[in-house]
Amino acid sequence: MKKYSLILLLTVILLPACMDEPGEKPNTNKGNFEALWSIIDTRYCYLDYKHINWDSIHTVYKQRFTDSTKVFTFFDVMGSMLGELKDGHVNLYSDFDRSRYWKWYTDYPSNFSSSLIHSNRYLSDNYRIAGGLRYAKIDNGDIGYIYYGSFSDSFSDTNMSYVITYFKDCKGLIIDVRDNGGGSLDYSEQLASYFFVNDTLTGYMRHKTGDGHSDFSDPVEIKTTANKTTHWKNSVAVLTNRMSFSATNDFVNRMKMAPNSIIVGDKTGGGGGMPFSSELPNGWMIRFSASPMYNSNMQDTEWGIEPDVKDSIKVADQAKGIDSIIERAIALIKK
Amino acid sequence: MKRNIFLFQLFLFSSLLFAQTNDEQKYLLTTETSTYGLSTIKLTDPYLSPISYSGIGLRYENESRRFLSTQNTNISKQSNFKLMCGLAFNPTITASMTYMGMNYDWGMHYHFRPFTGLQLLVGGLCDVDFGLKDISRNVNNPINLDLATNLNLSGVVIYDIPLSRKVLQLQIALQSPILGYMFVPGEGTSYYEIFELGNFTNTTHFSSLHNKRGINGTFSVDVPFKYSIWRFGFNYHELDYSSNNLIFKRKDVCLLIGSTFDIATFAGRGNRAPRNFISTKE
Repeated sequence: MKKYSLILLLTVILLPACMDEPGEKPNTNKGNFEALWSIIDTRYCYLDYKHINWDSIHTVYKQRFTDSTKVFTFFDVMGSMLGELKDGHVNLYSDFDRSRYWKWYTDYPSNFSSSLIHSNRYLSDNYRIAGGLRYAKIDNGDIGYIYYGSFSDSFSDTNMSYVITYFKDCKGLIIDVRDNGGGSLDYSEQLASYFFVNDTLTGYMRHKTGDGHSDFSDPVEIKTTANKTTHWKNSVAVLTNRMSFSATNDFVNRMKMAPNSIIVGDKTGGGGGMPFSSELPNGWMIRFSASPMYNSNMQDTEWGIEPDVKDSIKVADQAKGIDSIIERAIALIKK
Repeated sequence: MKRNIFLFQLFLFSSLLFAQTNDEQKYLLTTETSTYGLSTIKLTDPYLSPISYSGIGLRYENESRRFLSTQNTNISKQSNFKLMCGLAFNPTITASMTYMGMNYDWGMHYHFRPFTGLQLLVGGLCDVDFGLKDISRNVNNPINLDLATNLNLSGVVIYDIPLSRKVLQLQIALQSPILGYMFVPGEGTSYYEIFELGNFTNTTHFSSLHNKRGINGTFSVDVPFKYSIWRFGFNYHELDYSSNNLIFKRKDVCLLIGSTFDIATFAGRGNRAPRNFISTKE
């Protein structure tokens, strides 16, 4: 009996030591490179979708540094490697810099001017602010105009209720999410909810389940629920440009399915993968797309969403203080 | 007259006997111990970061133990309530992890008494474990929850060490989880997907020694002073668990100080305090 008791006691004490240690890479240039490459290799969700040969990228970039390479140069090598992913959701953060890929909007026309929307023709100086929403009546009071610049800026149902009450005599509403780089998916769903009569399937989401590049879970439905208290019944136009990214991309995807809605402007910037964070042995943080999101037809939204009506700001209009995309939306609402 | 005096004396004697019988009425005492601790902690949570974080923590623990009944002093019931918080850093001290934890367990022990001054307690404790780890700089995965319920094997050794003027009580307590259930999200599953979209697939897992192993050991000495008994102790807690290809680790080493005392509780019609106990309710 004593023997068995001793064995049991030793087993209980020694058992914790038996579980495999997670392998931490050494804090050297090589160790950090391997850690970063491995995180993307196993957890980034678009390697196959974007036809990226990540093994080849490892071969190419491991030759660009040694363990004695200075920290700034090494950071640039790592940043360049991440740039191959062509993803605005991928960043490497250090205490001295943040790598980024911005070509998803810098290679395209801006199609937005803050000075234009703040001119007397549109928001003017006397616009109202409710939470993160800036709003005013435009086009002689016929159209309600809301500029929402970040899905990180909060607003409440009460805010939106007042906004909709203010616009109750308007023929239509414009929600301008140009240059909105995203934020919270909760605000995306909340803002869309005012334009739905019924709960509607608007997309899907999956997540990585293994180290393989296409190891994904079954799709999970994303539904946009109709707001129970506040509802806009007339036409609504959503204005987009290439800087409409991430949570804004998600909002546009939802609004594509809303009754009486139309998307006007440029293709959105994308950012369909929900980003996660991880860490390298040297303390640098890596952000990367982890969970791909799809539209209601299971099409990927990573590269952006096409508008229903494509338009851009004309130079001649801009010179006259006219935002061509807003004017196009007004015309479509009044049609 | 003599007969009356005899009857009166008999009455007094029987009254005295009755009073003595009342004095021998047994009451259960509950041993309450409260301790405060300062610990070093090491946390590994690959959902938040593949890097282990180390730091310091604070702990409060309350232990309550009493026998089941006055007739049975071989089986005791015990409950423990623990609160913990900690702040840990990655090795390069560029990020911090905040930890908050709460644990409540309840169970029973059988008391073996091989010889005077030694008690061996063997039993089981069911616990509910809640923890929250936060790396605030993370995006979409800044927080991970530890939610678990376990059946723990528990053993306690209590040994009285008589000194010239006092008796020190040495206690060694060991606990280890045997089986239970735990919440572990998938490595790539966001809390948005779990709680907003309601996808709980593969988030709750049966746990046993194949995927959850741990040891929680406390060595303590109770030192009696004139009006109080102080407890000085040392606790080592290591817990490893794995699921969804993730291995989580929690290790803390804690110095404890606290006090222990016995209380008797009276409540209700069937358990009223004796008359020589004075309550503010009376």
